[in-house]
Amino acid sequence: MIITPQELHNWVSKGRSFVAADIRPDEQRHHFPINGLEAITATAENLPPRKKEPLILICQFGVLTEELIFEQNLKNAYSLLGGVQSWEAFQTDKMDLSRWSRQTILTEIGIAGQRKLQDSKITIVGMGGLGCPAAQTLAASGVGNLQLIDGDLIELSNLHRQPLYNINDIGQAKVSVARKSLQNLNEKLTVIAKEIHLDESNAQELLKDTDLIIDATDNMKTRQVIDRTSKAENIPMVYGGLYRFEGQVAVLNHNGSPGYEDIFTAAPTGGDTCAEAGVLGMLPAIIGNIQALEAVKIIIGIKPDLSGKLLLYDGITHETNVINIGGKA
Amino acid sequence: MKVLVKCFSQVKYAVGTSELALDLNPGATTADLETMIREKGAGELDDVTLRTAVNKHYISEPVPLEDGDEVAFIPPVQGG
Repeated sequence: MIITPQELHNWVSKGRSFVAADIRPDEQRHHFPINGLEAITATAENLPPRKKEPLILICQFGVLTEELIFEQNLKNAYSLLGGVQSWEAFQTDKMDLSRWSRQTILTEIGIAGQRKLQDSKITIVGMGGLGCPAAQTLAASGVGNLQLIDGDLIELSNLHRQPLYNINDIGQAKVSVARKSLQNLNEKLTVIAKEIHLDESNAQELLKDTDLIIDATDNMKTRQVIDRTSKAENIPMVYGGLYRFEGQVAVLNHNGSPGYEDIFTAAPTGGDTCAEAGVLGMLPAIIGNIQALEAVKIIIGIKPDLSGKLLLYDGITHETNVINIGGKA
Repeated sequence: MKVLVKCFSQVKYAVGTSELALDLNPGATTADLETMIREKGAGELDDVTLRTAVNKHYISEPVPLEDGDEVAFIPPVQGG
């Protein structure tokens, strides 16, 4: 069993009886002391004698203690989810980040990176094939604020590649259904749903207060509007596009990196829509997730990202090409 | 001289393959190669913007090709 920092805090506040055992090595205990909790020192091989009270096992990230409970089949024992890392973060601002412990354990992310995600605001333009998976993984990863922009209603032909919607949602606004789906996934998420098509007349107002834009549109014209607004407002844009079994991703207008018109000229032509060219359902999930990955890297500051580069993915061969498009990488 | 041409998205479907190994006359440029690719596309690429990369770097103006170069032709895509 697991117990979250919030739940354990509640136990402490209510005076519930339990035994907490810290199984970390001496050095780790010295460098990362536990605050706000009395814990006895123990090891995996030498756990405290079992009593009637629940046993709370504590390690640095909550992984070793979960394994210990499973391997020794311990009853009435709890692993502190996220370990001391999440417990200490909770002591700071009473924000329980333990659900993200599998990613805060990554040194590139940590608690500081998770807090950046929590504080970030990302706008997704287009809640179709790319927007759905991007929104889903951004919400799950702990991004705190999402703005969804799309004026379309859900159609039957959307369902094979847009996993936030189901058969009962047909005819409803995409952004409204997506908001409910995403908030079921992460109740701490704030979602602003804009049932509107983005165009030149509203782009600046809709996009000006966001930290990053995911371009998940299905047409060149809107993409160009996003590009111009992204450049003018100095907001990075993660572009994604699909053609049959192929996808493209680039990070644009980020710290001086090129924009969309630098890649494909100011008025490019060609490139059919998914309706015209067709698309296999898995492809937008792959490309939308790469867009979400790049967004998270930019918010946290993980380098290198796809600034100044165009990624080309082929779903048939799984060949990936990364083309340098110039500017600062 | 031998060059490898990589065709993406609409280019791939228009010319019928993702890669072409071509033997070009010395002095040939990326513009010459683009003309050849558009001709192979038999009209399907007439209205399609193509960007060119040589050895995985975008070029903004036509450049002379060298033996062993890899040239990519990349069209825009609209799907989302």
